[in-house]
Amino acid sequence: MEDIYAELLQKTAQGDQLAFKKLYEETSPKLMSLCLRLMRTEALAEDVLQEGFIKVWEKADSFTPGKGRALTWMSTVIRNKGLDKLRSLKTKAAETEIQYEGLEFASTDLQPDNLEDLSQDVKGLMACLDKLKPDQRECILLSYYYGHTHQELSQKMGKPLGTIKAWIRRGLEDIRPCLT
Amino acid sequence: MSNVNNNTRYQNPEVFEQLAIEYAVGSMQGRAKKRFEALMDTHFYLRAVVDAYENKFANLVELLPDAQPSNQVWKNIESHIQASNTNTVEERSPWWQTNFFKQGFGISAMALVVSAVLLLNPMTVTPTTYAAVLESDSNVAMAVTKIKKSDMTLSVDIMKKVHVADNMELTLWCHPKGGGMPMKMGVISKTGKTNIKISKKEWQNMKDVGLLAISIEHKGNNTSMMKPNGKILLKGQLSTAGL
Repeated sequence: MEDIYAELLQKTAQGDQLAFKKLYEETSPKLMSLCLRLMRTEALAEDVLQEGFIKVWEKADSFTPGKGRALTWMSTVIRNKGLDKLRSLKTKAAETEIQYEGLEFASTDLQPDNLEDLSQDVKGLMACLDKLKPDQRECILLSYYYGHTHQELSQKMGKPLGTIKAWIRRGLEDIRPCLT
Repeated sequence: MSNVNNNTRYQNPEVFEQLAIEYAVGSMQGRAKKRFEALMDTHFYLRAVVDAYENKFANLVELLPDAQPSNQVWKNIESHIQASNTNTVEERSPWWQTNFFKQGFGISAMALVVSAVLLLNPMTVTPTTYAAVLESDSNVAMAVTKIKKSDMTLSVDIMKKVHVADNMELTLWCHPKGGGMPMKMGVISKTGKTNIKISKKEWQNMKDVGLLAISIEHKGNNTSMMKPNGKILLKGQLSTAGL
């Protein structure tokens, strides 16, 4: 599948502000959705989105089209920003209001209409994740989308910490061959 | 001694691939995460493997429902860009227009500094270009690769016809001098010249690269690969071409 944002990101790397604005308009709804899940509040999510897009503007020349798609590169940049912020917030009192929960959007029973819009890359990844036991899959997706620590997953799922760690470790071991 | 063992341990794909995937999904935490981040700074193949897994998992963003940020976010981003552009213009007035140079002291001072660097410590001069001639198995020179700091570009010029089936493509790899996983640079055109933009980090890693190799891979299966799956068609040693 053609990488529809790669050209805009490459123009951004050359300092083209119009291309950057279009890139923001096209991709910010998905990336905001990721920030909301990681940060839990709208204000924090918008902070991370803003800082993340500034980093995209500054580091766009690090994007190499042959190594991945523009959207995945941007979401990694923005997610890492969010994880850094989350880490610094967790050292203070927990001030987050849990507003965004669940994994319905990543359900294995997506309707054909939804599947049509997805790239081959994400379909391949979902097929790999589907090979896992439901608990392992849930732990991995919650780690990715919500940035939950092992401790948080243990509380959320009502399972011992050791069990959660083992689920994640074995789950990742199991999907590795499928991913490479 | 334990440091040596640690380094060897992190060159074992079974160990570092598992750590890399844990890092990429976000399940590595605390001190383990900090230790791994420090290792990534010294072993660029770790960074490459993490990048590949991060790219894989980042596809999950596609599944999310859209959520519109407020208009203020873009306004803030735009203001930041305008402000940094203004600062850059002010900060980056050409060096030859500074008072130091206008007064005529600059040229002789710079000549002295350059001479001192070249005469006293030539080994520390940073290269500006690397190059490699890539040869086939029968030692025929087939391609020339140049990596230039001036435009942060890696170019591969295929000089002789390379036979590649329609469903296959060529991929360029940089192998570290000390062994370990290669760094994938991208897909190369079967004919003529290919230019690949490199990042600052990739440029810095070039000093540790020994062998360049071009492998032949199945089309379309390229973004996820972390090491060559197909046959190595051409290879050559990277060396410093310009100081």
